[in-house]
Formats: sequence, structure tokens, C-alpha cells
Amino acid sequence: MRMRNKTIRHLSMVLALMLFAGVLAACNNGSGGSAQGSEQGGSSENKGEKVTLQFYMLGDAPKDLPVIESEINKLAEADLNVNVKFNYTSWTDWDQKYKLLLSSGQPIDLIFTADWTFYQSYAKKGAFLPLDELLPKAAPTLKAYVPDDMWNAVKVNEKIYTVPSTWTEYVTEGIAYREDLREKYNLSKPESLETLEAYLEGIKANEPNMIPIADSNANHTHGIRQLTSKLVNTAGQLPYGLDIMYDTPSNITSYWGSAQHLEDLKTYKRWMDKGFFPKNVLNVKDTSNSLLQNGKSAVVLSGENPNKFNADVIKVQSTHPDWKLGYFPYPNAKGFAQPVHPIHNGFAIPRSSKNPEKALAFYEKLVTDKRYNWLTEYGVEGKNFEVQDGYYKMVGDAQTNGFPREGMNGWAWRNPEFMLYDKSFDDVLAIFKELDKMKKPDIFTGFAEDWTPYQAEKAALEQVEKQYLYPLNVGLVEDVEAGLNTFMEKAKQAGLEKIQTEYTKQWQDYLKSAGIQ
Amino acid sequence: MILILSLICIIPFLLILSGSFSSNESIVRDGYHLFPTDFSLEGYKMVFKFPTQVLKAYGVTVFTTVVGTALGLFLITMAGFVLQRKDFKYRNAFSFFIYFTTLFGGGLVPWYIMLANYFNLTDTYTVLIFPGLMTPFLIILMKNFIRSAVPDELIESAKIDGANDFRIYFSVVLKLAMPGIATVGLFLALGYWNDWFTSSLFINNPDMYQLQFYLYNTMNTITFIDQMAIGTGITLSQDVPTESTKMAMAIVVTGPILFLYPFVQRYFVKGLTIGAVKG
Repeated sequence: MRMRNKTIRHLSMVLALMLFAGVLAACNNGSGGSAQGSEQGGSSENKGEKVTLQFYMLGDAPKDLPVIESEINKLAEADLNVNVKFNYTSWTDWDQKYKLLLSSGQPIDLIFTADWTFYQSYAKKGAFLPLDELLPKAAPTLKAYVPDDMWNAVKVNEKIYTVPSTWTEYVTEGIAYREDLREKYNLSKPESLETLEAYLEGIKANEPNMIPIADSNANHTHGIRQLTSKLVNTAGQLPYGLDIMYDTPSNITSYWGSAQHLEDLKTYKRWMDKGFFPKNVLNVKDTSNSLLQNGKSAVVLSGENPNKFNADVIKVQSTHPDWKLGYFPYPNAKGFAQPVHPIHNGFAIPRSSKNPEKALAFYEKLVTDKRYNWLTEYGVEGKNFEVQDGYYKMVGDAQTNGFPREGMNGWAWRNPEFMLYDKSFDDVLAIFKELDKMKKPDIFTGFAEDWTPYQAEKAALEQVEKQYLYPLNVGLVEDVEAGLNTFMEKAKQAGLEKIQTEYTKQWQDYLKSAGIQ
Repeated sequence: MILILSLICIIPFLLILSGSFSSNESIVRDGYHLFPTDFSLEGYKMVFKFPTQVLKAYGVTVFTTVVGTALGLFLITMAGFVLQRKDFKYRNAFSFFIYFTTLFGGGLVPWYIMLANYFNLTDTYTVLIFPGLMTPFLIILMKNFIRSAVPDELIESAKIDGANDFRIYFSVVLKLAMPGIATVGLFLALGYWNDWFTSSLFINNPDMYQLQFYLYNTMNTITFIDQMAIGTGITLSQDVPTESTKMAMAIVVTGPILFLYPFVQRYFVKGLTIGAVKG
């Protein structure tokens, strides 16, 4: 009898554990239910039924996203009888997650696209729905709102797969520097390689505690190349050490291993010897912007597009009002500027979408309806932002405000007619106006590289670059010439020539098909 | 010799510790030192300035670790016990089935599709626990351990005394397999504590991030701003932690799990070797 009692007790323990497992499973069912509901939401023809759209954005969600989501859902339910769930991928492994989202067949209704998220190659592989027939039916206002030449520019294989953003901006880079220090020590404006070096020397001599250059990870090379050559790519980042000049795009040469390359590397070596870089520059993980904002460095050479520069100015104004920042856009050195390509910011409907028409109708609201647009770009008026004399004004500061300007990363549905700028953004718009004067079309972004023929070589080359080129870029190698030779040798072993040949071929084909001389 | 080896193991940790107590300026300017040159608590102040998110992530990780380890131990010991019973007819077939999965995996995409589309586990706590519950390696380890620690005769005699299989499991096997349980438990706990990958794939809600992923993501955002944002024209309005803050975070994160070792360690060596040698 005693025995049996114990058995029962133990059995009940097992049962309890199982129940616990059951509770876990139930939790899961509870939250999974909403997703299922959207699947059962039914066909798009039936406008009466309520569906939940799955909306995917890159990056991290702002703190107040749930508030915005419920506000948007109130509007969307009344207008279109839809609900929207905003999902964010986080910046960790976003590219892998993006791949999984698109290849797993998970129901997604709207997803962010851009040239840097490989819009073209996904479109070619059939990840997105063609919108040509859907647009006039589901979103006539949107179709009319976006100019025709933009619709044409985003076409892949003669079909539209993304809704482009109509706001024209420049993401061309420039040199951001401490203007107040320049005035204080009467230094030259850093507007060419020589004056830049003189400026850096002046900073080093007068501010011994500063490390003049903020760029880590050997990024400054992109900036220097934009300062000294007229490359076809706005950001100066041509892959595999190639040189393509804007005026002669069909003529491709190798920058790596050239006399110019050696000379540049010698410059970096000299800079390191003079103490322009920190000793552990390859391991510094702080962003160049934060180093500039905190007054630890005086110059940022890479990645400073007008937007980012403006963010620096705002930050510096609030923390160190006595400082001044100066800006020299690289287009001024090159003589021309390229505005962003229409595929730079957009939204596509993946093939797995259960409600493409409703998704497009909702996206139309997001772009063309001021209520939706303001809510998703700036938050709740009065709570997150205020409008003062036509300017955007954040309530509180970045720490207390749960939804900063464009906090949802809504770069793609910016609408120039509704856009609110921070007062300080006037400076950016002024820069844009200047750049407009030397505008030339972007001929690079339309090109989609297909690296499948040399995938293995590409991976190997990346390793070689990190191991042998990065130390050269920051002058950590004693003998520059020998170092460059070693790098070239290793790069060739990794398959550099094969990559360059194949890339050149693809580029030439693109030039021919796009009709560019 | 051993002294040198253990020094080599301790030095990286010391570097982080001293980094967390250094002022950020000194790290940026002079790099890391074994002892802080410019002592400062700024890093820790930053970590606990806005503690809600860190604490939430902490909570998620503690929850998944405790629940996952408890559940996983239960399932693994059950499986190990059953698989080593000679009177279980299909034990070879099942053993092979489990062993087979260590050799051939379906790959990332099918795994993702299974969990996300068929089980609908996106954004649930289950997804953080479920995939790590049973590991073939741990089952095999446990099976071999139980086989060596519990003689067949003991099970037989328990049977003669009238015990059924569950009673044998609870009263005999579990008690004799303590070292094995400690070993497997430590493996499981470490696995759950260090897990960031499942969060990265399946969790969209920031409140449900595991601690490791929360930190990893913060670091990645910094790298992203630095590298990707160059040609993208996007601005991210986030405050990025500085060097000393990152080191302080690392200490805060690794601290608790470090205390697990001394408690389990005495079982650890025994459990691992017995399981391994008789493999």
C-alpha cells in the first residue's frame, strides 16, 4: 500500500511536469494565434473581412512603437479594415534574417528594400510580387503620385517590384572637422589632401590629447579616394580595388597595386608616424561620429553624408555649444554630385503575401495620407513632437522621448509635401541646394553585381584584405612597399584576377544594356 | 607550467575587468591595460542608468535558463534511462535515430521554416527554450553515464522488490546519476545562458531579447552605423555605449554564470570522464 502511494505521488510529479510543458505550449498558442488569424484573414477580394498585415522594417524598434501601432491601427481599421503589425529585424545579422524571411515563405506583406539590401538580386530571383498590374487597381493615388521616370528606374526585368521614395537626397560624403579649432589655431581648411594633412598636423601640435582622425577600421581610405579621384560611385567604395572613373566608365583599371595606391599607403604610414591614428585603431569599435562629438577627434573622413553631419551638429550644439563644426563635401573636390537612385529606399510586397492589394492600399495611405505619414515618421503630435513655425521640434530629449524623428526608420515613405525638418536641417537643405547645381545622374547604383561565379574567391579575398590591407591602410606596416607586394600576392592567390575580370565583364554588360558611354 | 596556463586563461578576463573600471578616454588613447591606469566607474554607471532594458533581458535569460535546464534535464535523463535499458526492444533503432542527427542536419533554412511557419513560434518564450531542450550529444552522454553508474543487477533487484519503471527512474537512477546530471545540467545552463542566435532569428519584440542578444545587438548597431550607414544616408538616433561601458556590460553578463562553476565542478570532471570513456 505504502509502495503504491509513493508510485502515485511520483506519477503525479511527472504529470505536473507535463502540465508545465503544456502551459508552455499554451503560451505559445496564445501568441501564435494572431499570426494564424492573419492567415485565415482570407482572400484579398473580400474587402469586408479584417486582415492583419505583416510589415517588416530593418533595425531596432523605437520605444513607443506599440503606441504608434495602435494609433495607426485605429485609422487603418476605419479606412481599409486592416490591422498592421510592425516587425523589426534588429541590426544583428539582419542580412541573414532578411534572407530567411524572404526564402521561408513566411507570410509577409510589406518589406523594406534598397540597393544595399540587394533589392535587384531578390527581385531577379522572384522574391517579390510584380506591382505593374496591382498598382492602378489597389493604389491609384500612389501610382499617380510617384513620377513615371522613377517607376521606370526601379524596374528589374521590365517589371516594377518596389515603391520608390520620392524625396531626393544626397548621401554623398564629405569631411567633417572642428571649425572652432581651425579658427583658434589659424589652420588651413581641409579641402585637399595637402591642406587636410596640414590641418591634422596643426591639431596634433596644438591639442596633444586629441587623436586627429576619428575613422576606425581603416575607413578613411574611402574618403581619401573621393577627395583625390572622380570615381563613379558616390560613396567611393568600389569593390575589389577597382577604379572606374565617372567620365570614362567603360575603362576599368585596378587601383590596388598601382603607383597611386602605393603613394596613398605611404601617406597613411606617414600619418600613423605623426600620430594621427590611435595605436589600436583596428580594434576601436566606437563610431567615428561619437569620437567627434565627444571631442576626442577633430576629423571624420568617411561616412559623413549631409544627414549624418547634421546629426553631429545637433549633438554638439546641445553638449558643447562653444564648438563649431565645418564640412567639406567631396563633390566639391570631384566637381559633380549624384543624388540617390530611386531604388535607394523603397517597399516591396513579397511573394508570400496573402493580401497584396490591401498591403499596397495601406502603403498608399502611409505615403499620401498626412495623418498616417506624420504618425509613423514623427510620432504623436504633442507627445513626441511639436510643430513650431513649420519646423519639427522634439518633445524632451532623445533619452526621454520614445519616438525620435523618423524613429521607425521610415526612410522609404518620406513624402516631401508633408516632411517636417528640424530647424538645424536648413543647413543640410542648403548643402543639397549647392549639390543640386553640380548634379549628375547616378550611373552606378543601377548596376547589380552577381557574385555567384566567384563567391568562394570573394570570401577568401575579404579575409586577405582584413589581414594584409587594413594594417597598411593605417600605417602599421614598417615597409609599405613590401607590405603592398605581400598583399597583392596573397590577393592574387585568393583569386583577385578572376573576380576583377568577371566584375569588369558584368559592368561592361550593364553599361551596354543601360546605354551609357 | 599549470600556473602559466591558468594565467593565460585569466589574463583576457582581467583585461575586460580592468577595462570596465577604466575611463573611456584612457582606453581610446592608450588601449587596454591589465590594471586600470585611470580608474573610473563611469562604465557601470552607464549600464545601470537605464536599467529597465538590461533587467528585462536579464529576466528573460534567467527564466529560459532555469526552465530550459529543468525541463531539458528531465527529458534527457528520461531518454538516457530508457535507451540504456537492455529490455527495451527498439533501443538500438532509437539510438541510431538520435545518433544520425548528429551526422546529418537539415540546415538553417528548414530549421527556421519548421519553427517559424509550422510551429508558429516567432516571438514566444517557447522558441527560446524548445530548440535547446534535447541535444543528441547530451543524450548519448547521459545514456552512457547511466549505463556505467547504475548496474543492471540493481535495476533487476528493484524490480523484484516491486518497483515499476518510474519508481526505478526516480528512486534509483536519478540518485545514482547525480554527477551526470550535474554535468549535463551545466552544459544545458551554459547553452541557455549564452544563447543569442534564437533571439536573433525568432524574436522581434525587444522586451523578449535574451541578455546576450541584447548586448550583441547593441554592439552590432555600432558596427552597423560605422560601416553600413556610409552609403545609405540613414541616421540612427541611438546612444552608443563606449568602450568602458561595453566592458562593464560584459562583466555584468558573465558574472552570475561564473558562480555556477564552483557548485557543479566537483561533479563535473567525474561525470564527463565516465560518460566519455565508456562511449
